[in-house]
Amino acid sequence: MKISRRPLAANVPSMAMGDIAFNLLIFFVILAKATDDSHLQWDPAETVDVTRAGAAKVSVVVDADSKYYLNGQQVGIAQLAPQIEQILEGASGEDRRVLLKVHRTATANHFEPIIEAVSEAGGTIMHVLEEKRN
Amino acid sequence: MKVRRKCKLLVEPPSSATGDIAFNLIVFFLVCASIQPDSGRSQEIPRSEENQEQKEEVENIEVALTGNLNAVSINGDTVRTAELRSRLTKMLASKTRAQDKIVIVKSKIDTPYHHWIDVTTEIEQSGGQITIQREEQQTIQVQ
Repeated sequence: MKISRRPLAANVPSMAMGDIAFNLLIFFVILAKATDDSHLQWDPAETVDVTRAGAAKVSVVVDADSKYYLNGQQVGIAQLAPQIEQILEGASGEDRRVLLKVHRTATANHFEPIIEAVSEAGGTIMHVLEEKRN
Repeated sequence: MKVRRKCKLLVEPPSSATGDIAFNLIVFFLVCASIQPDSGRSQEIPRSEENQEQKEEVENIEVALTGNLNAVSINGDTVRTAELRSRLTKMLASKTRAQDKIVIVKSKIDTPYHHWIDVTTEIEQSGGQITIQREEQQTIQVQ
């Protein structure tokens, strides 16, 4: 007697794929937006001998209109030092690094108060610059 | 006796998920491409109260910057920016203590950031430790 084999369905369940994709999309968008200051308009100054800035908890931007941004949010200069201090609370060593992104033509009356504020808050300044190419 | 081979199952990758996988890959590479690592220069600036203590003990070099990109002033003498490093290296060569190597940078309010970066790079490369001194602003009310 010949017994016929039942055909086996070897399919990957496709029901959850859409949900997985959606979750991944949300995850990456949140990850990218968390410390996003890419929408700000600023040109870095150039210098020789740059090093990798690495990651930092705090990023301060002075844009082309000389406005101040702390981690992508616009702030006033008076709020800068206490807010940096609050973020850096309990951090030590390399975690106290503050990325300083200043528009290349910003004047001293705009960038010096930030340097002073970071210094007051006990942060280590990392000027974000572009490598000078001859 | 000839044994017949079992019938092979045709296992195809599920085509319904390929769109989703492609979409995820696009998102992944877009995120990777948009995150460029920042580069720059680290700088340690002593706190202001420390400076005041040190100022009482030693005479530090003062470098003054203005809107003029070609010249700076070292202890009141105007020098070309190109000569800054050699001048500072000579001045700092005789100084051995760390607090003696502090160079006070004074900037006029119109000093652009790129010029400040150029000058402070020269100071650091000549062995100096930067500290800033800001112009004090006073508001006088006229009655």
